Amino acid sequence: MAEIRPDEVSAILRKQLAGFDNEVDIYEVGTVLQVGDGIARVYGLSNVMASELVEFPNNVTGMVLNLEEDSVGCVLFGESTLIKEGDTVKRTKRVASFPVGDKLLGRVVNPLGEPVDGKGTVQFDKYMPIERKALGVIARQPVKEPLQTGITAIDAMIPIGRGQRELIIGDRQTGKTAIAIDTIINQKYTHTEEAKKYGIKPVYCVYVAIGQKNSTIAQVVAKLEEEGAMAYTTIISAPASSPAPLQYIAPYAGATLGEHFRDTGRHSLVIYDDLSKQAAAYRELSLLLRRPPGREAYPGDVFYLHSRLLERASKLSEDLGGGSLTALPIIETQQGDVSAYIPTNVISITDGQIYLEPNLFNAGVRPAINVGISVSRVGGNAQIKAMKKVAGSLKIDLAQYRELEAFAKFGSDLDKATQKILAKGARLVELLKQGQYSPIPVEKQVVSVFIGTNNYLDTIEVKDVKKFEKEFHEFAELKYPEIYENIRSTKELKDDTIHLLKKAAEEFLEKFSK
Amino acid sequence: MSVYRISYRYANSFFQLAEEKKFLKNFADDVELIYNTLVQSRELRAILRNPVIKQKDKKNLLSKIFGSKIKKETSDFLEFIVAKGREDIITEIMKEFLNLRDEKEGIVRTNIVSSVELTDDVKKNLTSTLEKRTSKKVKTDYSVDPNIIGGFIVKIKDTVYDASVKHQLELLRKKFSQEISI
Repeated sequence: MAEIRPDEVSAILRKQLAGFDNEVDIYEVGTVLQVGDGIARVYGLSNVMASELVEFPNNVTGMVLNLEEDSVGCVLFGESTLIKEGDTVKRTKRVASFPVGDKLLGRVVNPLGEPVDGKGTVQFDKYMPIERKALGVIARQPVKEPLQTGITAIDAMIPIGRGQRELIIGDRQTGKTAIAIDTIINQKYTHTEEAKKYGIKPVYCVYVAIGQKNSTIAQVVAKLEEEGAMAYTTIISAPASSPAPLQYIAPYAGATLGEHFRDTGRHSLVIYDDLSKQAAAYRELSLLLRRPPGREAYPGDVFYLHSRLLERASKLSEDLGGGSLTALPIIETQQGDVSAYIPTNVISITDGQIYLEPNLFNAGVRPAINVGISVSRVGGNAQIKAMKKVAGSLKIDLAQYRELEAFAKFGSDLDKATQKILAKGARLVELLKQGQYSPIPVEKQVVSVFIGTNNYLDTIEVKDVKKFEKEFHEFAELKYPEIYENIRSTKELKDDTIHLLKKAAEEFLEKFSK
Repeated sequence: MSVYRISYRYANSFFQLAEEKKFLKNFADDVELIYNTLVQSRELRAILRNPVIKQKDKKNLLSKIFGSKIKKETSDFLEFIVAKGREDIITEIMKEFLNLRDEKEGIVRTNIVSSVELTDDVKKNLTSTLEKRTSKKVKTDYSVDPNIIGGFIVKIKDTVYDASVKHQLELLRKKFSQEISI
């Protein structure tokens, strides 16, 4: 590093001082009446706006949540021990907002937009309020483009479209975050030149970590960096150690950043991990603000808390640039209880849910998706035609398998037809297993599902299914690369491709069984 | 109900009575006297707040202290407050009354803090500037605080006009602590 000469330092200081005027500073103030538990009651601040940021001494900021006749209720974004009765509170005349801009990509910030990754100040274009009204009907259009998660089971049976809200729900340790991270990693392809050629637009990702361990967040950041996914991702971190108000506003900050990409005609994916913790944080501060508790002690507006957040996911009309904001909220259930208050609320708000089960997870079915009760209400519109074609029979086959699964233990006592369904089902389940951090491109998914549903796996042992799939892809890529190329470019599965696929499968089957 | 709302109701009713009887000036003087006494005497406030002391005793005490110095209506009002069991917020009620009076007469109260005692000329100048700015009658309250180093701070309601050297230095500190853009 070059040495800094003293005269350079003073030149910089002079430059800084040049813009400094010493006019009378006018500001509005209030006085702290009462403080504690992260809440301050303030007297004065008569013109303050709801959800405006206010400045306390010792660099603590707060947000106004309650406007009462003679006092104002504020939540604190810092230590409440640093503030005492009688302190002066200053207005900032800025409602709680988040800095947006492309420079935020690759950064880890807190919900106020302050960096927490030690890479210096965050460059940004402008501040946008964190609470924005969701767009109306006129500004939207139906969801029609797929958002590939890279997970075959999801892309085939529970497709997610750009602009959709798909809930990921399950107990702890069932791989909820894994699905989200895989989805982010899979968006890397959309940023390549190749994707551009096929008309696939890039997806920018925002991962909002709410109430998680700092170590978990660090792991996620490290993994995304390793996979080269941080280049198009921002992480908003409100760990368990941060005050409840920060955890409460974190998802809104994420949505604001996502909206920035959406409103500039691009596509964004925002992951809220997880909203049950946010609801708990909101409950905490609502109770401290003495709002009356309701069911499970949540305040009355906890439904609105999530509905106004998830309504901001949208696909814009072409007039507005056709951008989109896809939301993947995550909810953690306790002991598989989906009928608790928060899970039912969020299920009813979203356009479908991916349900993860510990039983499946422990049985080695990973991702542990229960395809029976997982749905996507946007459905086929969010799939490429080729996938739609092959996925139909996959769903039926698996449904039949589930119906008869209980009889599987009778083994050879069953009739031929039942045995056949069971055998096929077991192979399909095996086929849909997939490792973590290994997203599969859609054309490979189509081919895999095709060989699965067209009975090419019947003669293969269940334990060999994954090996067969892998080797088949290697074989086909070498010998019949046009299969993948056709699916990629036309996004359809035409008769000639099917013909080629069948030929390749038969050829390889012969080789494999030898 | 909040203290604010209760005190407003009592103060407002008394204020309306004062206006009706056209004794606002006298009443306001009485109220000011009571308010100042209460603010200065911690013991009196403590006694009024104490629920153990009988209302009759409180009534007697109040009439003994103020009886001869205030108008009959005012002492009746005090008695009325005690009878209603709101003697614990007499201070707030009196304050609210004075606020209503200020509002009615177009008076704003300001606090002016300066580093040194201001000369009469400066005071006059400052007052007239503030009156022009607020287009109201300004009642000023001066105090000296050497901690602000130089300049002055004017506080009108919740708005602060800060021209102190201390604040300027604080702003400068903030500016330098931000990242230097070269």
